[in-house]
Amino acid sequence: MFYSEDKKQYSVLNRRSFFLYLLKISFFSIVGWRLYNIQIKDSEKYKTLSKNNQIDIEIIYPLRGKIFDTNKNILVSNKKVFDIYIIPEKTKNINQSLNQLSNIIKIDFSKKRKILKLSEKVKKFEKIKIFENINWENLEKIESKKLQIDGVFISQDYMRVYNYGNIFSHLLGYINKPSEKEIDLPFITNMPNLDIGKEGLEKSFNPLLIGKSGQREIEVNSYGRIIREISRIDSLKGKDLQITLDLRIQEYALNLLNSHRAGSIVLMNIENGHILCMASTPSYNPNKIIQKPNKDYWNSILENKLSPLTFRSVQGLYAPGSTFKMIVAIAALHYGVIDTDSKHFCNGKVALGDRLYHCWKNNGHGSMNVETAIKESCDVFFYEISKKIGIDKIAKVAKDFGLGKIYDLPISNQKKGIVPSKDWKKQKLGESWYPGETLISAIGQGFVLTNPLQLATMISIIASDGKNVLPKIIDDKKYINFEKIEKYKESISIIKKSMFKVVNEIKGTAFKSRSDEIVFSGKTGTSQVRRITVAERESDDFRKKEVEWKKRDHALFVGYMPANKPKYSISVVIEHGGSGASTAAPIAKQIFQFVNKLDS
Amino acid sequence: MLLKIKNLNYLLLFLIILISFIGAAGLYSAAGGSYSPWASRHLTRLIVLLFLTIFIALIDIRLIYKYTYSIFFLSLLLLLSVELIGAIGKGATRWISIFGFNIQPSEIIKITIILSLAKYYNDLKFSEVKKILNLFLPFLILFIPFVLVAIQPDLGTAISILILGVFILFASGVRLWKFILGFATAIISIPLLLNFLKPYQKDRVISFLNPEADALGMGYQLIQSKIALGSGGISGKGFLEGTQAYLQYLPEKQTDFIFTLIGEEFGFIGTIFIIILFIMVISICYFISIKSIHIFGRILSIGVGTNLFIYVIMNISMVSGLMPVVGIPLPLISYGGSVMLAIMISIGLVLNAELNSNIKKLNNA
Repeated sequence: MFYSEDKKQYSVLNRRSFFLYLLKISFFSIVGWRLYNIQIKDSEKYKTLSKNNQIDIEIIYPLRGKIFDTNKNILVSNKKVFDIYIIPEKTKNINQSLNQLSNIIKIDFSKKRKILKLSEKVKKFEKIKIFENINWENLEKIESKKLQIDGVFISQDYMRVYNYGNIFSHLLGYINKPSEKEIDLPFITNMPNLDIGKEGLEKSFNPLLIGKSGQREIEVNSYGRIIREISRIDSLKGKDLQITLDLRIQEYALNLLNSHRAGSIVLMNIENGHILCMASTPSYNPNKIIQKPNKDYWNSILENKLSPLTFRSVQGLYAPGSTFKMIVAIAALHYGVIDTDSKHFCNGKVALGDRLYHCWKNNGHGSMNVETAIKESCDVFFYEISKKIGIDKIAKVAKDFGLGKIYDLPISNQKKGIVPSKDWKKQKLGESWYPGETLISAIGQGFVLTNPLQLATMISIIASDGKNVLPKIIDDKKYINFEKIEKYKESISIIKKSMFKVVNEIKGTAFKSRSDEIVFSGKTGTSQVRRITVAERESDDFRKKEVEWKKRDHALFVGYMPANKPKYSISVVIEHGGSGASTAAPIAKQIFQFVNKLDS
Repeated sequence: MLLKIKNLNYLLLFLIILISFIGAAGLYSAAGGSYSPWASRHLTRLIVLLFLTIFIALIDIRLIYKYTYSIFFLSLLLLLSVELIGAIGKGATRWISIFGFNIQPSEIIKITIILSLAKYYNDLKFSEVKKILNLFLPFLILFIPFVLVAIQPDLGTAISILILGVFILFASGVRLWKFILGFATAIISIPLLLNFLKPYQKDRVISFLNPEADALGMGYQLIQSKIALGSGGISGKGFLEGTQAYLQYLPEKQTDFIFTLIGEEFGFIGTIFIIILFIMVISICYFISIKSIHIFGRILSIGVGTNLFIYVIMNISMVSGLMPVVGIPLPLISYGGSVMLAIMISIGLVLNAELNSNIKKLNNA
């Protein structure tokens, strides 16, 4: 019985297996017949389709994000323009097309070479820009002859517009074609024609401002006519950027600076570290840089000895002069070298070793304490106290007050400056420290170097009674609570009293710049750019003489306003401006008054 | 052991290697005439997996038979874990990473289904096959993986699991009217099944059922696929001379659409040659099935042949426009490790079944 059942099972299974096998073979036959139809019967049809059908992938470039000031004024935007492009694949001979085009608008040799080189590098269906922002006259000419020149076409595009020209040039920077090195940057990805930020915030925020490219797949026939759009992924507009600067103040500051050859004004909100103005002169006009041809303009910038490309507020290094005295005084008070009553007599000079160290006031200030020494900016007082403190403690305090540091800001190439110390000198110069160098450093000369932003930050820290204020230029609406350095609190309060007297008491170095609209405190500084010879010093009126511009001292002023409840801090540096009292302090006063009017 | 190695079916192994080499050539061309990234890895996988195939062929068949259900549960567990990972991560996933290999459990489970059904019908007396109650276990073996794969959602693979099941049950002698009944219940249960799906899973299933909603346009893809095949003509444009793939028409040129690339470059001769090679492999499976005395080997071989058949028919129908595009690769030719792993394991099982075809009876004793 088992045997027969087994037999029955095998016969059923064999039958069914055979049936399934036949079923599979017939399925294969259907597929084979289908392939015969496609590959043999209709082959000609598909062959033509294959030849004629072409797919172009067009990159849709994203619109670059705008940049606003703190009040939402548009500083940088995009303007619609017309550009001329060439698509190498669509030309019979790219050389010929370029020559034909050159008859309408001249294409110079180097540009032509560059286009030819680029055409080998990019995908052959990628368009290459030849002219940007062409005028109506040329647009019409090309439009009328477009059909005779193959591969050339007109396209609407956007051009970057810097609405306030050179007012924000250093901070914002400008955009341009990527260099060969930059072409591999990740945010460029598949957009070889993309203009990218080359300087300033435009550069630092490239990934944010650029956005994301889109892509359009289009089917074209053999004549290049678009048959249909197959797919489209729209580009993603770049994000907008808002900065902390105030257009009105920046504009006002730059106007004030324009009556001088070179300088910087930095205004900072002490409470949140927001930079409200960071003006640097001479500046440049980014609109003239991005508009082609820009060769002449570039040359004029590069030939200018004052180097308009330098962002003096963060890249300019100056001996802080007497503005450094606050640091020395705080160090002396903090380390208990002096108290408010400690006095030194100034007779115009101090001897150390076989050298004489002069006070700016040849006849001397008489008996000075820390308050009067700051108020009248007596050098001898600081020579004397610096001997007792030593350079290393001064350096430590200077660093606590933001000097000798690069801040975490999206500005490239910030200059760190120098806060000298014994170690520093050993490391950098391989020499040991001389006592006389401490004296020179105490009046902000010698090795000491700071940039204007550091000076403004230093003042913010002083004015806020020791809050560790850090500058900020991107308005991200985040509130930062700055940490307070308690240990300097008492010293700072004495210094603040002194700084008040500088401006508001008779004999104060900035007394002439006091304002009847507002009350501010500050400190003048005059930093020498060369040594004064003994002969000059002996001639009685050497300071009043007209000195050649380049040999004149730098004029500095640092301060805060209002004096009783500080809200703004400032640093003004005028290169070769003469003295801080005569040149820099009046500018600070005007800025403070202007800001005060805006607030009220 | 040595005798076993000597008796291996070298024709079958040769066919498998030949098909894989054709795949490597296609992948080499798809990469624009380069071994990287696909062809070299394809060949490396082939070599590694060949050892696995032979290893599986040489294992004692009783061992495989004994642990069949355990292996099935293990693969089910893998499938379930992919499901859970997918549910937690909210993203569709068909992969699981084991020892650095990305494995698609839905491919592996097809093999364990074949094994389980083979064992089930091996153990069942032929007179018992007729009884409707005895369909319950096979139904579970098929239905649970089907549902799990369907909600991934990978309807292409889910459907192929169903077809595989129907073929095996038919080959095992299940009465015809039961298939008709089963088909009817399946149709009824689809809306019910949809109710159990989460909204995002439902969306995916619906977008699968209505591919026209796809922005990229499946229809367009199909036209391009047909142009590639058709423009190949009888003898093709020549190796590396295809233009359709170069122009980036086919996003899946190295996986599901590799057949069209071969069709463009080697023409009708090439495509028919591939089909004949697969028919030969499937025929060998049938030959081994009939040769086998025990039911386990019989159904195992037919199952493996059927599984291969389903891949090939679905893929070629898909790229030639006989069937909607459902994402089924061409085994041993398309790039992809999981399918190759599954195929090589199953070939190992068939080789094993042949070596042990004369064992009288397999049972749990």
